[in-house]
Amino acid sequence: MRMVSRKNKDRVARWLSLAITVLAIIPLLWIICSVVVNGISAINLEFITGVPAPYGESGGGIANAIFGTLIINAMASIFGIPVGILTGMYLSEYATKGKFSSAIRTSVESFSGVPSIIFGIFAFTIIVTNVRHYTALAAAFALGIMMIPIVAKATEESMRVVSDDMREAAIALGVPKWVRTVKIVLGVARGGVITGSLLAFARISGETAPLLFTALFSFYWPTGIDQPMATLQVLIYNFALSGYQERVLQAWGASLLLVMLVVAINIVVKIVTRQKYKEGI
Amino acid sequence: MDNCTYEKLDISGLDAWFGDKQALKGVSLRIKPKTVTAVIGPSGCGKSTFIRCINRMHELTPGNRVSGVVLLDGVDIYKSVDSMDVRRKVGMVFQKPNPFPNMSISDNVVAGLKLIGAASKKELEAVAEENLKAVGLWKEVENDLKKSGASLSGGQQQRLCIARALAMRPEIILMDEPTSALDPASTAKIEDLVKTLKAETTVIIITHNVQQAARISDMTAFFYLGELIEYGETRTIFESPKSPLTERYITGRFG
Repeated sequence: MRMVSRKNKDRVARWLSLAITVLAIIPLLWIICSVVVNGISAINLEFITGVPAPYGESGGGIANAIFGTLIINAMASIFGIPVGILTGMYLSEYATKGKFSSAIRTSVESFSGVPSIIFGIFAFTIIVTNVRHYTALAAAFALGIMMIPIVAKATEESMRVVSDDMREAAIALGVPKWVRTVKIVLGVARGGVITGSLLAFARISGETAPLLFTALFSFYWPTGIDQPMATLQVLIYNFALSGYQERVLQAWGASLLLVMLVVAINIVVKIVTRQKYKEGI
Repeated sequence: MDNCTYEKLDISGLDAWFGDKQALKGVSLRIKPKTVTAVIGPSGCGKSTFIRCINRMHELTPGNRVSGVVLLDGVDIYKSVDSMDVRRKVGMVFQKPNPFPNMSISDNVVAGLKLIGAASKKELEAVAEENLKAVGLWKEVENDLKKSGASLSGGQQQRLCIARALAMRPEIILMDEPTSALDPASTAKIEDLVKTLKAETTVIIITHNVQQAARISDMTAFFYLGELIEYGETRTIFESPKSPLTERYITGRFG
């Protein structure tokens, strides 16, 4: 009797968790499907090679926004990834139990929970208000700061799990500590560092709020990294609210491209992670 | 002084602590060049601490302390030499094979030289080949030099680690139970290798296996509770040990 009731409970728990999982996935699939369904018809050659058409004219593309997103992300990465790696390296290999280290650790952890708009307003205050115009550099700065905690955490964690056998092997060869840290520990942990950097890149690819304060938008090809610059994110925001049927459709198309970028990065992450396990680290 | 010049290693009054706990008590011994010395004793007797004092790795853990004199070729390694230089002169092979998984087989061999930037690319290739030959691994990996060091079997990895230590041309090679993680066939290969190594260098090897000590060593040191109980020629230690403790240990009655 008790056996039966236990089996029943088991069954209920299983079906319940399955049902709730499906429920949780529905919105996700819904979003993906509507982005694909609505976006696919917007995509054509002009769409991915041209710049937006002037208001009232039809056609045009979003190439400048694709380019802008990639440029700003690249600049953010050039700044955010090395700083993140160095921070993670410090936390894993040099930090002690002292107050300074724990302050750094706490700020890295709480940093990742700060809403992105705060980084936008910060970059706006210290850069845009000083140079007195919107600039892609400020956007890269805001997004770069956002990458730091993600990359730092990934670096710290993957360096920490590197076996002390590796450190001892390098010590026994008379290799100085910084060389050991960079060439051996970071070298062995590189899979995790690459993964963290890619995820940070994917994360900032979706951020819009910091860009509204900084890079703003442009209908033209960028003229310089210190100028306003179009991005996919802000383009989606502007076009979706424009009220023009065609622009709304283009916003869907841009959304599809953005989703594809993020999915592509996640696939690369999967491949990198799989290789890491193959090496047996 | 007359003895110093011909002892490779002259250790006197060596004490070592882990925090408050004393792990080595007044160890003194002399090791001649181009010999194999086996260090035996039950777990926790200070064998590993002892050899880690010879390449100054014991002091790396905060709280650990060493006192006493360790002369390598007559030079005090705790007073007159930088710890990094000590470790370049005194190589070490660990219990668990630990090749660098992010490096190829040939890069593993020359890792020490490469990381301190001590040789050109051409020289490194020659050094890699020479040392892979010295450990009998060359024929097995000749065509896989660019593969990861982690792709080898356990026994091959350990020989790779020995080649890595040899590539630094060390005065002394310390081995901390190098065969305890290996199968019998790989163990036999390493034992043969140790015997050939003494043509070039001086080997100090910890082993849990007293038969292994008898097979490969010229001298044997028996440690118990942090003290050097007995030290002498291996044959003497095994045939007529002076201390009853040594006898009980090597006949397998404790440990």
